[in-house]
Amino acid sequence: MARFDPYENNGGTCVAVAGADYCVVAADTRLSVGYSILSRDHSKIAQLADKCVLASSGFQGDIKALQKALAAKELVYEHNNNKKMSCPAMAQLLSNTLYYKRFFPYYAFNVLAGLDTQGKGCVFTYDAVGSYERTGYSAQGTGSALMMPVLDNQLKSPSPLLLPARDAVTPLSESDAVDLVKDVFASATERDIYTGDRLEIVVINSSGTCRECIELRKD
Amino acid sequence: MADRALPRTAALACVLRFNFLGKQKRREERERGAEDGVRPRVNTFSPEGRLFQVEYAIEAIKLGSTAIGLKTKDGVVLAVEKRVTSPLLEPSSVEKIMEIDEHIGCAMSGLIADARTLVEHAFRVETQNHRFSYGEPMTRESSTQAICDLALRFGEGDEESMSRPFGVSLLIAGHDENGPSLYYTDPSGTFWQCNAKAIGSGSEGADSSLQEQYNKELTLQEAETIALSILKQVMEEKVTPNNVDIAKVAPKYHLYTPAEVEAVIARL
Repeated sequence: MARFDPYENNGGTCVAVAGADYCVVAADTRLSVGYSILSRDHSKIAQLADKCVLASSGFQGDIKALQKALAAKELVYEHNNNKKMSCPAMAQLLSNTLYYKRFFPYYAFNVLAGLDTQGKGCVFTYDAVGSYERTGYSAQGTGSALMMPVLDNQLKSPSPLLLPARDAVTPLSESDAVDLVKDVFASATERDIYTGDRLEIVVINSSGTCRECIELRKD
Repeated sequence: MADRALPRTAALACVLRFNFLGKQKRREERERGAEDGVRPRVNTFSPEGRLFQVEYAIEAIKLGSTAIGLKTKDGVVLAVEKRVTSPLLEPSSVEKIMEIDEHIGCAMSGLIADARTLVEHAFRVETQNHRFSYGEPMTRESSTQAICDLALRFGEGDEESMSRPFGVSLLIAGHDENGPSLYYTDPSGTFWQCNAKAIGSGSEGADSSLQEQYNKELTLQEAETIALSILKQVMEEKVTPNNVDIAKVAPKYHLYTPAEVEAVIARL
């Protein structure tokens, strides 16, 4: 008796790195189901506000619904408060939205990234039900276990438990951070079957958002 | 079966006809009332285009104790007359300035019980909901709008609405990323941003004194003195730390202790 499974893992990996005045967000563009590839050109990154970007991997049906819900809430906020949502405000909103469905969760592993109200880079990493933390860098998705150790080695942040609070952002320059992200994706693509095809890199800084794509291994 | 059904149907018909007649009668009454210029239902317009209940509510506030607010570049000062009617009354229990959130305070005049409801249900709940949803303080204009949204929810028929408007005027002192601000709300649900305003029984005299004495370069200290001296002019009793309340939002809300009020009185 086959029961209907409401979830599916469409694979893929997302990464974000926060710098002093920039933020790098990257995700591969492969959409898979089982051992098949459905698309080599599917973006996992959504721009929610001018300095705030959401990258999610997991079940794309839930991810699309989540992006729609957040975009609508952002518009309502803009109308009620006469200003655009800041990244930390969106972070709290995303957490509440995920926890609202605590007993039928969004199968989405999210990384929210952008610039905070002071213009510093910020990365917020989530689990499926909304537990979140502001960190200096994060990877989520099928290749995250392959990427996090490398990021830890290159970008090790001070512990968030230390007092006085230390800055979590990396001292690396923007181009160094982008190179690191490209290297880390190239490594994960070698061993993770769900990661590959093309890498979409979004860099957010004070002058705006810019998008770059590079090819990854297609096998 | 048939003979039992007949009286039942007849009874049903009577009830329906009675209801129908009742509706007819009420409709006629309503139309008649509107034509005579007799006071219409609570939340409908008069033929001249006025909402009487709202206007009467505004009148009610003119009986309330005076409250004064002044905005300076460093922050906003609120001062109220507590109107302690008996020496047996515990002055600290008379609360006419309330904290809404860390960065917002409000002074009230009119029916204090209505003000409590408005502040607790609309204001405090809304600002805390905003903090819960967005992890940040609510902007002062949105929070004032939240209060005013509630002001016109009165009328008959709907169980959730009040039977009459709120008979209270508020002076809302706030501070957000755009700096300090003072808003004034009234029972019509409108709000205005002001540099200085007085509400309550002494408001006319106080407003004209404020116009003479206010300027944009005032310091917080000068504003305190001006507010209290104007309050002294319009109050019947002598000003003591027990019958006035002062608060400031600069940038956080702070209610003055009796000792601090005493210090301001000494400067008068």
